[in-house]
Amino acid sequence: MQGIWSGTISFSLVAIPVRLVKAVAPGRISFRLLHGTDYAPLARKMVCPEEQDIVPPEEIIRGYELGPDHYLPITAEELASVSPERSRTIEIVEFIDMAEVDPVYLDHPYYLVPLKGGEKAYSLLAEIMRRTNRAGLAKFVLAEREYLVAVKSEQGALALVTLHYREEILPADDIAPKNGTVDEEEKGRMQRTMEAMRAEFRPERYADERREKLLELLRTKRENATVTAPVPGDEEGEGPADLVAALEEIMAEVKRKQ
Amino acid sequence: MSRRVVDLEGKSLSLTNLEKVLYPDCGFTKAHVLEYYRRMGPFILPHLQGRSLTLKRYPQGVTGEFFFEKRCPVHRPPWVQTAEIHRSGGETMTACLVNDLPTLLWVANLASLELHVPLARAGSPGTADAMVFDLDPGEEATILDCARVALILRELLSRLGLASVLKTSGQKGLHVFVPLNRGETTFGDTKRFSRAVAMILEKNYPELVTAKMAKSSRTGRVFINWSQNDGSLTMVCAYSLRARNKPYVSCPLEWRELELLAGRGDPEGFLVLPEEAIARVEAKGDLFREVLERTQHLPHL
Repeated sequence: MQGIWSGTISFSLVAIPVRLVKAVAPGRISFRLLHGTDYAPLARKMVCPEEQDIVPPEEIIRGYELGPDHYLPITAEELASVSPERSRTIEIVEFIDMAEVDPVYLDHPYYLVPLKGGEKAYSLLAEIMRRTNRAGLAKFVLAEREYLVAVKSEQGALALVTLHYREEILPADDIAPKNGTVDEEEKGRMQRTMEAMRAEFRPERYADERREKLLELLRTKRENATVTAPVPGDEEGEGPADLVAALEEIMAEVKRKQ
Repeated sequence: MSRRVVDLEGKSLSLTNLEKVLYPDCGFTKAHVLEYYRRMGPFILPHLQGRSLTLKRYPQGVTGEFFFEKRCPVHRPPWVQTAEIHRSGGETMTACLVNDLPTLLWVANLASLELHVPLARAGSPGTADAMVFDLDPGEEATILDCARVALILRELLSRLGLASVLKTSGQKGLHVFVPLNRGETTFGDTKRFSRAVAMILEKNYPELVTAKMAKSSRTGRVFINWSQNDGSLTMVCAYSLRARNKPYVSCPLEWRELELLAGRGDPEGFLVLPEEAIARVEAKGDLFREVLERTQHLPHL
């Protein structure tokens, strides 16, 4: 497993060397865009609609859109001046109860793998967090962005999940209907139905069916594929019988002559 | 950026960046490109006339990035003639028609070094005016192999009662054109016919010819790209420059010249530069004229 980052988790006097790895690999199947006639992979070009010309990279700048046709240019140096430095440590500042975290805040999950010399402290922290159901809250800079993260325990291992910031969460106030009285009898009926449908969460019972069908399609196509580029037009053998006969005859004459 | 406004045939044309070197290997500038197309105008224009142009633009010269442009740039002078093209998706598109010298120079000024046109006129998109055999040497094959194939092809076609005309691709291959110029010949006809011809050549000269697009079967052989006989595809126009290290021209040749070149065994002999191309048309006229004028019927279909 390739590491995204390595450094240390620290709080108070504890420092644990770890490596950050992905916890999920989205199963999306991606395709390359090709030129249909020769299968050449397509490249993206930045084109200026005003000049109808390709814009070379050194002429491309960033602009913050203030309004239609009104931009505030921002230089790379200005952006760098506000970008935090990449963290060397995940500094835990608070321990929180994971149950208090609304799932809407959970963004992206990772695992933390212990590095040499850190195994003992790693296990200790994981064990205590598991028993107390606590998670460590930290600020952490990865790829020029500062993340709020929770370090938590998961089956004896440490996991890290990036959290959304408060201002990223959209208000849900207007979603639930304000009025609407609930009939007691209806309530009971629904409750009984739900009770009958109750099950344990077993994600392995579900799969992305489109993905599986697509994989199957690709497998079959690959087994039957003989060409690397399309051969357009009809596939009716050698061609029109009359023409093929004439060509065969002429070809024989031509070869005799040679 | 330098800019010069010229008045040509009563049309005002703005030429820019004339000193820009577009072929760094030989210092060939935008001005040279414009001068070439100006002098070649009387010979290339009949082959562009009424056909929707695909621009292949090299704003940074042949060593820089390029892009194809099928749509006629919206910032075009008002006198540029266009045609509405129906595309496969049901949408329409406005394409440039290079019907006069000012338009040719305007297009050249956009650094469209290469000019590509379909085998049909915009007004009759389903009619194949010509059938083409695009002879493309695979790896380890050369234009001399293409010449061998072209000579066999000419023999085969002439025994079918069909005259054919030849030009270099300006790259590494040869283009054999069979003039048709009959309103009723469709791309279905030319594709069926050319495919049958390509397959019979592949069958009889398996070491020399392939009719398959797969890269692997092309090594050491000449790929006869019959699938170019398609209303949605374009071929590089006769007398167009190519974007190679030097401004080689896709230049019509006489069959006699091909025999001589093939006999001499020198692939370099097929390379024609602008000066030579102009000297040739001034001396011999347009060797490709027949492609536009000769009427022929595809037999045995």
